[in-house]
Amino acid sequence: MSYIFLLDTRKCIGCGACAVACMDQNDVQPQEGDEPFRQCFVIEQGSGKDAPVRYLSMACMHCAQAPCVQGCPAGCLKKDTDTGFTVYDQTNCIGCHSCAMACPFAAPCFDRAGKMVKCDGCIERVRRGMQPACVRVCPYGALQLVEKETFGAGQRGKSARLLAYTALDGERTDSE
Amino acid sequence: MKNYAIVGFGCAGFHAARAIRQLDPSGRIAVFSDTGQPPFNPMLTTYYASEKLELDGVFPFGGMEEIQRKLSLELYSDMRVRRVDTAHRSIELEGGQMRGFDAILIATGASALVPGPLRRGGGDFFLMRTLNDAQRLRRRLEQGGVKRAVVVGGSMVGIKVAELLYRRGVEVTLADGAPYLFPLAAYESTAHAIQQRLEERGLDLIFRAQVSAVTPKGVTLADGRTLEADLVCLCIGTRANVELVANTQVLEGENVQIERGIVVDEGMRTNVPGIYAAGDCCEGVNLQTGKTAVIGLWANAGAQGDCAGRNMAGQFCRYYGNILHNITHFFDMDFIGLGDPNLPGERCSFREKGFTVEAILEDGKLNSINLFGNYRISGILKNHLTKRLLGGEARLTPAQQGLLAAGGLSRAFIRRIGGE
Repeated sequence: MSYIFLLDTRKCIGCGACAVACMDQNDVQPQEGDEPFRQCFVIEQGSGKDAPVRYLSMACMHCAQAPCVQGCPAGCLKKDTDTGFTVYDQTNCIGCHSCAMACPFAAPCFDRAGKMVKCDGCIERVRRGMQPACVRVCPYGALQLVEKETFGAGQRGKSARLLAYTALDGERTDSE
Repeated sequence: MKNYAIVGFGCAGFHAARAIRQLDPSGRIAVFSDTGQPPFNPMLTTYYASEKLELDGVFPFGGMEEIQRKLSLELYSDMRVRRVDTAHRSIELEGGQMRGFDAILIATGASALVPGPLRRGGGDFFLMRTLNDAQRLRRRLEQGGVKRAVVVGGSMVGIKVAELLYRRGVEVTLADGAPYLFPLAAYESTAHAIQQRLEERGLDLIFRAQVSAVTPKGVTLADGRTLEADLVCLCIGTRANVELVANTQVLEGENVQIERGIVVDEGMRTNVPGIYAAGDCCEGVNLQTGKTAVIGLWANAGAQGDCAGRNMAGQFCRYYGNILHNITHFFDMDFIGLGDPNLPGERCSFREKGFTVEAILEDGKLNSINLFGNYRISGILKNHLTKRLLGGEARLTPAQQGLLAAGGLSRAFIRRIGGE
C-alpha cells in the first residue's frame, strides 16, 4: 500500500508541532547540533499588511523517482515497495553528501557520526497501522497521510510533493 | 529474441542491463567485464583505502553472482574484448572469436591519467581509480614507514588521498600545475578560501607546479625543484576508455565518432546504428554549452545507462543531459560547484557565519554557483540551475525559497539568484 503526504496550507498555522514531534520520534537534538528532518516556515506572498501569509511544513517528499537513490554511491537509499517511502540503511554511508546535492528539497541530514539521516515516513509506525508522528500531532489536521488509492483529484492541491514542486495552492508547473 | 552486449560493467553498464531486463524479459544480455567485479563507484576507493569502508560496503548493487542471477545475465569475465567491429555490430574477443549482436553498449568507463614522461623517472607511484589501486595503497600504508608523501593533482580524488594520508600522520604536499584548487569547478576566490583552511590544518599546497618526473626519491618539478617523498600518488585526472572503438580500421561503414569520449546523442546512440555508449567513456550533452562533454559522475552514468538500455530494448527514451556539478567532502568541509565556473557574468556573493555562496549571473540568469560550507541547500540550487537550463520555470518555488531561507540565505540573495 503506497502513501501520499498531504499538507492543507489553508489549515496550517505554522505552529511547528509537527517538527517537534518529528524530533521526538527520531531522537533529533538540535541543541546538540542535530539538524531537524522537518522544517516549518512562512511563505510571504506579496508585500504590505494585507499580503496573505501561508505556512509550509516540509520534510522528505518521498519522490517516486528519487534522485537521492541514484545519487548515493554506497547504495544506502532505496524506495520501499510497500509504502512508497524513500528509506535508508546508513551502515555503509560515507558521509559524502551526494544525496544532499541530489535532493531538490534539502531533505537529507547528517548525524553526529557524519552519516545520513532523514524522514523515513515513520515507516515503522505506519507498518503497524499508526500515523507518522508529524501527522498524529497536527492540531488542525493540516498534515495527513493518505493511501494512494484513496487520493482523489480534488486533493491534488494538497499533495505535499506537488506543493514543493510548484507555486502554492497546487498550481502545477512541473511533473511530479 | 534479441541479443544485447554490454561491454564494461560499472554504474552505466548495470543500469543499462537492469533497464533492458525490465523491458525485455527473454532477451539475451551478454556482459563483458575485464575485472569480473560488481559495479562500484571509483570515488569509494579512497574510503576503502582509509578503512572507512570494507570491501562488502563498496558494491552498492550487491555481489556479481546476485546481480547475474537477478538480471539473468551471461557474464564473460574471463574473455577480454579486443575491439568492437562497428560495421558488423560485432565484438571481437581476444583469440579472434567474433560475436554479433542486435545492440551493443560500450560502458568501459575511464582510467587514471598518467602522462608518459612521469613514468620515465624510475620512481614507483600509486594511483586511485580501481579497487586494486586502493588495496595497493592500503597495504603500503599498513607496512608503515611512510612519513612524507606527495599527491600530484589537486583533483577531487587528490584532496581525499591527501586527507587520508594526513589523518595517518603523514606529512603531505599536494602539488598541481593549475593556479588554484579545483579549477574546473571553483572560482579563484572560493579556491583561495579553501586553500587557506587547508593550510591552517597543516597541508602543504603548491600550485603552478608541473611535475616532470617521479623518481625513486620523490618528484621533480618542471622548474627543477625536487620534493622528497616516501610515497607518491598521482591523481591528475581521468581519461575515457575509448580504445575498443578507436583506431580500428573500418573497411566499410563509418568509425564511431570520438572526441575526449565517445560522442552520443540524447538517446545514448553513437553515430553508428546499433552501437551505444554511456557513462564515463562517453560524451553526452552538456546543458550549458549545448555541446557534448564528458561529465564523469555517478548519477549521470546511471541515468545514461538506463536511457541506453531502454533505447536498446526498443523503448524511446531521451536523457536531456547534465551540467558540471560536484560535491566534495574533505577535511570536515564541503565544497559544491554547480555549473561551469568559467562562464561569464556578474558576480554576487553571500557570506554567513560558517558558509559562503558565490554565484555568477548573466542577464539576471544563473550560470554557476560555488557553495562552501553548506551542503544541505546544495540540491535546491542544483535543481534550480538544471531546471533553468532545461527551459523550465526559472524561478525557485516558494517551498524552495523557504528552505533556502531556513538554510541561512537572506531573502534578498534568494530573490537575486532565484531569477526575480
